[in-house]
Amino acid sequence: MATSLVIVGVGGQGALTLARWIGEAALAAGYDVRIAEIHGMSQRGGSVEVHVRFGKEVYAPIVEEGGADYVVALEAVEALRAYKYLKPSGVLVANKRVIQPPGKWVDPQFVLEAITKSGIKAYVLPCFDIAMELGSPIYENAVMLGAVSKLLNLPMPESLDERNREAFRRGARLVV
Amino acid sequence: MKNLIFYIHLNTVKILLLGNEAIAYGALAGEVAVATAYPGTPSTEILETLEEFRDRFVHWATNEKTALEIAYGAAVAGARALVAMKHVGLNVAADPLHSAAYTGVEGGLVVVSADDPWMHSSQNEQDTRWYGLQAYVPVLEPSDPAEAYRYAKTAFELSEKLKHPIILRSVTRVSHVRAPVEVEPPSPPKWGRFSKDISRFNLVPAYARERRKALVEKWGTIGEVSAELMRVEPGGHVTIVTSGVAYNYVKEAVRLLNIDATIIKLGMPVPIPPKIRELVKGTVVVVEEGDPIVETQLRALRLETKGKIDGYFPKYGELNTRKVAEGIAKALDIPYNPPQPPKSPIEAPPRPPVLCPGCPHMGTFYILRLATAGLNPVWSGDIGCYSLGINTGQQDLITHMGSSVGLGMGVAVASKQFVVATVGDSTFYHAVLPQLIDLATKKVPLLVVVMDNAYTAMTGGQPSPSRLIPPEKIAETFGIPAFVIDPADIKTSIEVTKRAVEIVKSGRPVLVVSKRPCVLVATRKARKAGVAIPKYKVEPEKCIGCGICYNLLKCSAIQARPDRKAYIDPALCVGCGMCAEVCPVDAIKGDGARVKWLEVWQQA
Repeated sequence: MATSLVIVGVGGQGALTLARWIGEAALAAGYDVRIAEIHGMSQRGGSVEVHVRFGKEVYAPIVEEGGADYVVALEAVEALRAYKYLKPSGVLVANKRVIQPPGKWVDPQFVLEAITKSGIKAYVLPCFDIAMELGSPIYENAVMLGAVSKLLNLPMPESLDERNREAFRRGARLVV
Repeated sequence: MKNLIFYIHLNTVKILLLGNEAIAYGALAGEVAVATAYPGTPSTEILETLEEFRDRFVHWATNEKTALEIAYGAAVAGARALVAMKHVGLNVAADPLHSAAYTGVEGGLVVVSADDPWMHSSQNEQDTRWYGLQAYVPVLEPSDPAEAYRYAKTAFELSEKLKHPIILRSVTRVSHVRAPVEVEPPSPPKWGRFSKDISRFNLVPAYARERRKALVEKWGTIGEVSAELMRVEPGGHVTIVTSGVAYNYVKEAVRLLNIDATIIKLGMPVPIPPKIRELVKGTVVVVEEGDPIVETQLRALRLETKGKIDGYFPKYGELNTRKVAEGIAKALDIPYNPPQPPKSPIEAPPRPPVLCPGCPHMGTFYILRLATAGLNPVWSGDIGCYSLGINTGQQDLITHMGSSVGLGMGVAVASKQFVVATVGDSTFYHAVLPQLIDLATKKVPLLVVVMDNAYTAMTGGQPSPSRLIPPEKIAETFGIPAFVIDPADIKTSIEVTKRAVEIVKSGRPVLVVSKRPCVLVATRKARKAGVAIPKYKVEPEKCIGCGICYNLLKCSAIQARPDRKAYIDPALCVGCGMCAEVCPVDAIKGDGARVKWLEVWQQA
């Protein structure tokens, strides 16, 4: 059977790249892979959603509601939006960062508490903070990749450059 | 992608390819020489991939009709040609498509049309396969990127063998799915030479009638070709007929339901192979993405079907494993309990699509709002990033490419209301030029605003002809007065636009061209060139919380804090400075690098 992930974030955060890295690692590990990307109207600043499925034999490119083993969220509000994809036994991996949605100020503390107290198994990780320590928010997705790869037991993708490798290693240390 | 090109020149490699990239590499293996397209999601990456190959003729055409005509001409002359578009684009190209079936081609002509079920980025759902039936053009339908690669190559071989155009139908979940694909090195392009054949290539009535007869006869033989692309996966007594991406959901669903079914996968769903009648007994379950096109044809063969026609599967939207499993379970009267998803502890606030921070259109809409204050205009819109003017209430009518000026003229003559027609530069060349001629000859009072950002921005920044053939020059040639404004210079632009508004009020059409390149292209180029991009900040003690910057200008980098004062997210700000221009109390400050940055940006 296949492992199903739904990766979400805000346009510009690198969710597509994160999905591609995971796919690349899964392919290198000998799995069949499907990555369904959504390109649409002005995704920069809008919600972004990518579905990744890998396993011995994969057919369907998309994950239905209640069908995801993992939801990986580069942004905490989007983690809440993607809840519906989780299996009851699913795992949520969320970045601590909140990017304010247009027109409505959300209290980051409130969002993070909602996630941790929801009853689903959740990892809430400081990917953004680590990326900033490494010099730029662009490393956020590589930190997340490190954490997710550890959970999924996937190798580091070969195409990562040195800075992203460092971000990957920092991310991998976030989960035990 | 450039690395990949180098790589596959050496070897056959298995690599994660987007369905659209796979189609491009399949075409390269199929000796494509001429490739044309008009960009449109989800089809764009096909030509983007082919653009890297300098030994072929690759062209972003003004619209889909032109694109198809160039490819059709090339194929008539014996070359192998591909044209790519999205489903709605095929409507624009429908005229030459029908003729192409009558004349046939000498080389290979492959028309790729990518459907977008559930309209992730489209104005309607449409099933391209209807065009196959309507125009007598066979349709191939791949189920995943690996098959998209193979079918693209097969389509050229078939097209040349049959001397007939072939449609390759993709959908979002093939075009925008990445999967492992084995890619061979590209084959050399196949060019051609036109041989005159008056009675074949001149569709005047006397000749066209003969071609029509020949076409109907040929259609009968194509059914045999269709059979060659049919795959039967033998199983139990239940028969499921499927095609394209739906096949994948069928494979997952039969496993979930634990049933032993015979699966018949059609590679060419139009026309279906009549031979299929011999393969099935009793009721057939039909699973397909889009409209019931296979099912309708099966019923015409007098087969009993359970599919979309009687509502076993939804008639709109995309399929997924759950919908397919539910439908099959209902058709076979067996139980299926889908998983119950957990509920989010709190509802996430919506994050609708917004204009990018610093988008020139944001300034243009603000300028238009102020310049037309008190007139209560009807906003006649069009397809492109500026459709998002809907967020500030400045789009009332968006229906298709070119709707702005055409429908706007209709509204203006019917109602005498003040109409503003907003159109992007790429759409302007695509569909508005002929309408502009009608506007000029009839002199209908209309404020046409061309939001000229120099690129087809919504699909990722393909080039537009706006710098070579400026819209304002065209308008002036047609006798329509034109004004040019810079949306980053809000105060001056409002004054200029007010002058344009006066002309419309006096009963004549006028063009305002708002020029500033797409901010995404500009920031990308600036980062490469090391140009400093200023960041703007709100001085909280000065901010009065009026909301002009986040509610009226509606910059997506600016949020209202709980006390209504503005906050600029430094990670999102791209230093356009429009917020500082509109702030009534001078509470927003940049760091002085704006002038230089705006100059660099204008050249992007």
